[in-house]
Amino acid sequence: MRFLLLFLTLGLAAWAQEGPPPDLSPEVFRIARELRCPVCQGESTAESNAGVAVEMRRLIAEMLEEGKTREEIKAFFVERYGEWILYEPPRRGLTLWVWVLPVVGIFLLGLGLFAHFRPHKPLPQELLEEAERRLKEPPS
Amino acid sequence: MRGLWFLLPLALAGLFWWGMQRDPRELPSVLAKERRPAPDFALPLLPPYREAWGETFRLGEYLGKKPIVLNFWASWCFPACYEEAPILEAAWRRHRERVLFLGVNVQDREPEALRFIDQFGLTFPNVFDPRGRVGVDYGMYGVPETFFIDQEGRVLARHAGAVDQATLERYLKEMLP
Repeated sequence: MRFLLLFLTLGLAAWAQEGPPPDLSPEVFRIARELRCPVCQGESTAESNAGVAVEMRRLIAEMLEEGKTREEIKAFFVERYGEWILYEPPRRGLTLWVWVLPVVGIFLLGLGLFAHFRPHKPLPQELLEEAERRLKEPPS
Repeated sequence: MRGLWFLLPLALAGLFWWGMQRDPRELPSVLAKERRPAPDFALPLLPPYREAWGETFRLGEYLGKKPIVLNFWASWCFPACYEEAPILEAAWRRHRERVLFLGVNVQDREPEALRFIDQFGLTFPNVFDPRGRVGVDYGMYGVPETFFIDQEGRVLARHAGAVDQATLERYLKEMLP
């Protein structure tokens, strides 16, 4: 019985793994992951099953076969869709701020924390003595 | 220096406000923005148009001669493609002497595409592109999408979504000399 159960579990696991074998090389998906799927919201071309995304993967595979580099392939899509198609915003122009602002933010936070926690200068001696004296004085 | 701290929240508020004014769904067409020459393609015509237009349709043969209205559609694109089909057909009948209308059926099955054509009695030529490769060349996002190509063969405008009569007439007026 136990043997049968084991057999069944393993069999089911193997069955679940079945499905269409990946006909495109992992490199295709590595490039596709850096490109946006034009028709979906927040999905890359690697994940989406939309017709355009499938066709884009095929195009990437074809271009790789032609010996094009990753940069050339990405440029092909930027040429047609604009820089919007890239998941990672380019580090220049307006989108440079996306890269710079977090660093600026962390710097400002550090500055604020330093200002908050830095050891304060002790009060002048005469002020401390004055405070001591007033505390000892009976309230009038 | 201390007095300048209030500028930071102000700058952030400004950035936020500017972000709110932007339309994230607005997807500018690279082709239309730079008025680039329309990419050429050759695709098989769907059976009903073969007699009049031949087996394959090469856009390059018509580019630079007449303004072209290039419409991408699919039979599964409901309701947008169904809304604009009669409008496109009516406009084609009115302007067929001066403007070429071309439908590109993308990512579809032929019988369903033929049913769609039959349903609306589309008389302008329609080509079949089940892979949707031409769409990528035009930087198409999703059907329906219409590209307006001027007399010089340059992309003048791209309209995403169903095109209504007033919009279509406006683009046609812009295209026609």
